[in-house]
This record gives sequence, C-alpha cells and structure tokens, in this order.
Amino acid sequence: MTYALFLTILGAAIATVLAGIGSAKGVGGAAQTAMGVLSEDSSMFGKMLVLTLLPGTQGLYGFIVGFLILVSSGVLNGAPEITLAQGMAYAGASLAIGFGGLFSGIAQGKAAVSGIAMTAKDEKNFSKGMVSVTLVEIYALLAFIVSLLVVIQVPNINA
Amino acid sequence: MAKMKMKTVRIIALRQDRKRLLEHLQDSALVQVNQSDTSRKGFQRVNVSPQMQVFERNVDLTEQALKILEGVSPEKAGLLASFKGRREIDPDEIGEIAAQAKDVIEACTQIVELDKQCADNAAEQVRIKTQLAQLESWQKLDIPLNTTGTRSTAVFIGSLPEQYSEARLKEAIASENPKLEFELEIQYSESNLTNVVVFAPQSQKTMMEEALRALGFARPMSPTHKIPKEKAQRLREKSESLLSADKQAQQEIAGYADMREKIKSTQDYFRFRSDKYNVINHLDHSKHVFVLEGYVPEEDCEKLEALCNRVATCVVEFGDAGDNAPVKLKNNKFAEPAQGILTMYSAPGKTDVDPTPILAFFFYFFFGMMFSDAGYGILMIIATGLMIKLFKPDKKMKNNLKLFQYCGISTTFWGLVFGSIFGDAPASLYKLFTGTEVVMAHSVSNLSDPTPALLPWPVIDPQKDALTLMIISIAFGLAHILVGMGCKFAVCIKQKDYPGAFFDTGLWMLMLVGFAVLAAGLVGPSVLMTIGAVIAIACAVGLVLTQGRGKKGIVGKAIGGLASLYDITSYISDLLSYSRLLALGLTTGVMAQVFNMLATMMGTSIPGFIFMIVIFLLGHVINIGLNALGAYVHTMRLQYVEMFSKFYEGGGKEFEPFSLNSKYIKIQEDK
Repeated sequence: MTYALFLTILGAAIATVLAGIGSAKGVGGAAQTAMGVLSEDSSMFGKMLVLTLLPGTQGLYGFIVGFLILVSSGVLNGAPEITLAQGMAYAGASLAIGFGGLFSGIAQGKAAVSGIAMTAKDEKNFSKGMVSVTLVEIYALLAFIVSLLVVIQVPNINA
Repeated sequence: MAKMKMKTVRIIALRQDRKRLLEHLQDSALVQVNQSDTSRKGFQRVNVSPQMQVFERNVDLTEQALKILEGVSPEKAGLLASFKGRREIDPDEIGEIAAQAKDVIEACTQIVELDKQCADNAAEQVRIKTQLAQLESWQKLDIPLNTTGTRSTAVFIGSLPEQYSEARLKEAIASENPKLEFELEIQYSESNLTNVVVFAPQSQKTMMEEALRALGFARPMSPTHKIPKEKAQRLREKSESLLSADKQAQQEIAGYADMREKIKSTQDYFRFRSDKYNVINHLDHSKHVFVLEGYVPEEDCEKLEALCNRVATCVVEFGDAGDNAPVKLKNNKFAEPAQGILTMYSAPGKTDVDPTPILAFFFYFFFGMMFSDAGYGILMIIATGLMIKLFKPDKKMKNNLKLFQYCGISTTFWGLVFGSIFGDAPASLYKLFTGTEVVMAHSVSNLSDPTPALLPWPVIDPQKDALTLMIISIAFGLAHILVGMGCKFAVCIKQKDYPGAFFDTGLWMLMLVGFAVLAAGLVGPSVLMTIGAVIAIACAVGLVLTQGRGKKGIVGKAIGGLASLYDITSYISDLLSYSRLLALGLTTGVMAQVFNMLATMMGTSIPGFIFMIVIFLLGHVINIGLNALGAYVHTMRLQYVEMFSKFYEGGGKEFEPFSLNSKYIKIQEDK
C-alpha cells in the first residue's frame, strides 16, 4: 500500500516536473529573445507573446496528467486504494509525458526563438513562424495522449 | 463564393481632367493601377517626385509630432481602443482639413523643434553633471583652477593617482629630487586620488614639474579661471534654468495636445495626396492625354465606365485579365471572416480554387472542438458582439471579431456535447451549497451512473471516453483530408489533367476510404473488414501500376509505383495529427475543473466565498487565454499543414485598389 502510494505520487511528480522543466526552458529562451525584439519595437508585443507561449503547453499537459493521476488514484479525495500494480502503472504512464514534454519543450523553445527572429525581420512571416513552431508540438501531444490513455485505464487494472 | 473575375482596363483621358479623374478613382477604390517603371514609345512620364517627397515628409513630420505628444501627454485610451474603427468624416470635411493643413504642419514643426530643445537640454544637463562631479573634490580651493603661479612662485594644481597624507607626499617629492624647495596643501584625498596644490619658486619650476610627473601628477581636465566653489554654484544655477526651460517646453508641447485629432486627419490627407502623386508618377503622358492601365473586377466595370465618363472626357477599354491578374475574393457572410486566415497563408494562385468556404467551416468546427466549453463560447459570442456594436471597427478587425463569434458558437455547441460549462462549475457549486453529489451529465459509456446529472442529455466526456473521442477526432481528420483531396481532384479535372485527378488523387482517396471501412469493420460487422481490405488492396495495386508512369522503362515504372506506396506514412501521420482535437479539448475541461476545485476548497464561509470568486475569475481568465491561443494556433496548423498541403498552391497577389488608404479617418460614402 505505501509503495503503491509512493509510486503514484512519484508518477504525478514526474509528469508535472519533467514536462514543466521542458516548458520552462522553452518559454524562458523564447521570452529572452522576444524581449530583445520588444526593446526595439514594443508594438509587436502581441505577436511576440503568442510565439513565446507556444512552448508552454508541455508543462500544461504534464500538469494535467499529474492532476488526473491524483484524481483517479483517489489521493485528492483522501481515500487512496491503490494496488502495487496500479502504482507502477501510474509511474510508468507519467514517463511518456515527462520525457516527451521535457525534450519537445526544449526543442520547441529553440524553434520559437527562430520564429521570433523571423517575425522581427518581417511581421508578415508571423503566421508561417507560428505554424512551423507548432510542428514540434505533435510529439508532446502524442506523449500526452499515451499517458492519458494509460492513466484513465489504471483503475480497471486488477492485479 | 470564389475568386472574382478580373478585367484589365485602360483609360485614356485628357490631361486637363487628370486631377478630377484621379480623385474620383481614389474615392471609389475600383481600380488597381499598374505601376511599370518605363513608359511606352511616344509617351512620357511626368516627374512629380519633388511634390510627393514634400507630402511624404509631412506625413513623417506629423507622425513624429504625434509620437512626441504621446510621450508628453499620453492620449487617454482604453485597453480595447485598438479595436476601434477609424473616425468617420463627412466628405466635405476633407476641404476643411486641406485648408488647415498649413497651420497644422506649422504646429507640428513647432512641436518637433521644442522636442529637439528638450533633447539638447538633456545633453547639456549631463555635461553639467560631469563637470560638477569633477569640481566636487576642489571645493576647498580658493584660487581659480587654472592658476599657474605669480611672478616669483610657481603653482601646481592637480591630482595624483594615490592616497597621500601631507607628510608622505612631501617625503615622496623630496625623494624624487632632494634639491627642491616647496610647500604644499592637500585639498582632498581618497584611495587612488589626491588633489594637491604645490608651491615652488619659479626658478625650480621645470625641476618641480619633472618630479611631480614622476609621481603621476595630472592637471584638472577642465581648468577654469573661476574659483571652484563659484563655478559649481554657477553650474547649478544653469542646470536649474535648463530644467525650468525644459518644463516650459514640455508644457508648450502639451498645449498642442488638443490638436491631436487635427494632426491625425492632416497626416491622412497628405497620405492620400502622396498616394495620388505616386500614381501620377507611373502614368504615361502625351501632350494632351494620359493613359492609365490597371485591373478591375468584372462586376465593377460598368460602374467604373460610368464614373469615368461622368467626370472626364475619356475612353475606357476593357480586356481579358489573364492568369497574372491580382486576386479579389468574394464570399458570403459565413465564410468571409476566414478570408483573413487564408490570405495570411497566401492568396490563391492562378490554378487554385478559392477554399475559403471549406476553410471557414472546418476552422469554426475544429476551434470549437478544441476550446469546447459552453461558458467560454457564450462569453466569446457576447464579447465579440459587444465590440462590434460599441467600437464600430474597421472591416478587417470586424471580420476578425466575426471569426471569433462564429468560433464561439461552435465552442458553445461542443461545450454542450462534452458537458462542460466553465468546466464543471455548475456541478461543483451545486455540491458546495447543497452537499449532494452531482455530475454535469452522464457520459455515453456510463449511462447507468446512479448520481443525478445536471444536463439531461448524454455527453462525450473527454476524460472518461478518451478513446472514443480520439477515434472521432481522427474520423473528422479523415473527412478534412478527403475534402482537401477532393479540391485537388476538382482542380485537376478543371485543368483536364485526368491522370492526375484519377490516379494521383482519386486512388489515394479511395484507399483512405478503404482503410476507414476496414477500421469500421474492427468494431462493427466483420464483412466491412473484407470490403475495406479489398478496396485498399485494389487501390494499392492501382497505385503501383500508375504512379511510375512518368519514368522510363519497366523497371523504372515498377520502382516508381512501389515507392509511391511509401506515401502512406505521410497520410498516417497526417491523420494522427488530428488527435490534438482530443488533447486540446481535454485540456480546457481539466484545467477548468482544477480551478473550480481550488475555488470551492475554502467552503461556504464569507472569506471562503471571496476566495472562491477571486480564484474562479482568475482561473478561468487564465484558462481562456491559454486555451483560446492553443485552439487558434492548432486549428490554423491543421488547415495549413494537413489540408492545404493536399491541394493549395497559393502565391497569388491580392487586389490592392488605388484608394483612400488612411490610418485615422474614413470618409463616409455618399448615401
């Protein structure tokens, strides 16, 4: 029981923290570049904000997986009844969005930096930059969906 | 519902009518004028560049003046001011603006001049500050800094790069040259700096100088003939007077603040004129006539001809526009808002059909599915509706707002399908106040749930029915891609490229349908599996046979055909890409749920109530911001990457008529 609980909470933590690190790195780098552009031309704030926020979704996905783990395991209601197998399943599921979010967040951050540089040169490039940056996001989404499908099924695991 | 048909137009008119004709053309915005740089034989260009430059300079000047005014006395503008449309003015008012233009330009020159004074003053202040800092360490000195001595005594005023006491400095000088006779006074000393006055007989002046130089002696940077204290006082007074001059200049600039509107309209007035002269620059002139060539939408031809004949003596000829004509799109009310999304990608090229109606439908549909909350959707509808009503925005902004209004309707619809109204806010509030457990609605997979539900219809709950929703998402994706390929099919047929239509596009479409039937067979009757498999295999054989048709030799054809089957991977990745519909739809709901949970955490006490309202508002604002952005971006991506790649070429040029292109004012049309 205690091992199972530990693994469950570890799972929630892995999902939230690793994906969060990815987004923090991505958004941080993009924000630095965006501020450089804004110091020259503050009228581009809206566009810069959009490009800066794009790598932020990984952290959100990680958080949602973490939250769903806490809800479906019953930790949030204070009455967790988890078997060891379920706990391990939670921990395993969290790895997908954890690592997927971590690396795709960093990669998307780099793409966002280039998108910002491109938009700074010519504002007409904005939509192209935006779409290119979201190309990276599919990998975070796939990881998210895998984590999600497992987490939703875990209460049905009886072992 | 499509690209408008274009005609070329050639207007030949008398030179004496030029001004009148051009003004009317600019007002009516019917024609895009060709701007070639060379004139045809027998005609000449009229160079009006000098006048044009004057107008452009005036535009720049007013822009600068407005910027300065904004800095000195900022315009009171609300957060939503950027949605506001241009100020509408009466057509007669333009004459008034023209009459006042000279005064306004003078005022602007004055503003810029005053601002320059302020800038000069600021630079002067910096200079004074550095001088004062230097004088600071000489405050005790009661002779001018540039004193070099009297008839019998040489005086050295300056600083040494080390900290000395009087005794130590005397020792140091004496050790440099023991023969020296001197007296000294330390004025100021800190680490690495000693300000000193040294007195020596004139006869030893050079010896003394050498000794001091060896110690690193340097005279002050800006020696004056005044006593330092007085000099500092004087500088301070000057600084103060500069400050008050500055203030006065600022006030004077602020005094012009009520001219802002006039400056704006004058700027637009000069912008109009500069545009007009730019057109004149590109017209061919002979001695008596001039020729204007351009493009005009077919439906405006009659209007244009009537207008020209009314205001000038002229000949108007129309011709076929051909493939290189600029593109003007015309769509109905439903699709028009999405035109902006299309042109953001690229205007349709010469072979393209106008995909705006399809784009519009899927844009609204997918946006709604990703944002998927009835509460947020209704907020969007109301907010955009109010903005359109209150601000009377310009056409482009109005279309953007309309776009989000339609998206809002779709968002509301999907919110109801997913059973989400501000997340699960109604259910969690109900539970908070009554203590009874309720759910928003029963999910389709769990209709026998005994807990009472607030919504009477079964919903697809993205959390519980994730797999179902994923399949639905991919099915929508398949439909989206098939529609895109259908467009390609239609374009190929239109261009009589039958192999392209049937082999390259048709077979793939059929194959995808086959796979879909096969997948349906997995859950439904197994006969569908067989049918699907047969279709898919038949199509695959067809593709292998036809895709290598451009290659030479049987081996080349076979390899080309087989290699084309590899494209299946790209179709699979395209389809999987639509799983984002599930992921983003789920994100909105879960985030909202998290905030609702936090909000209701503190119970029903008074502080708990306040806490609830604050968290509820804050949380949902954050959620709307993040997820609306996500839905917008990802919907756009689905259109641009997944669908447009199937058929859309783009690369067309937009129709840009010669018009009153303004920033601040809009001239009312005659009613």
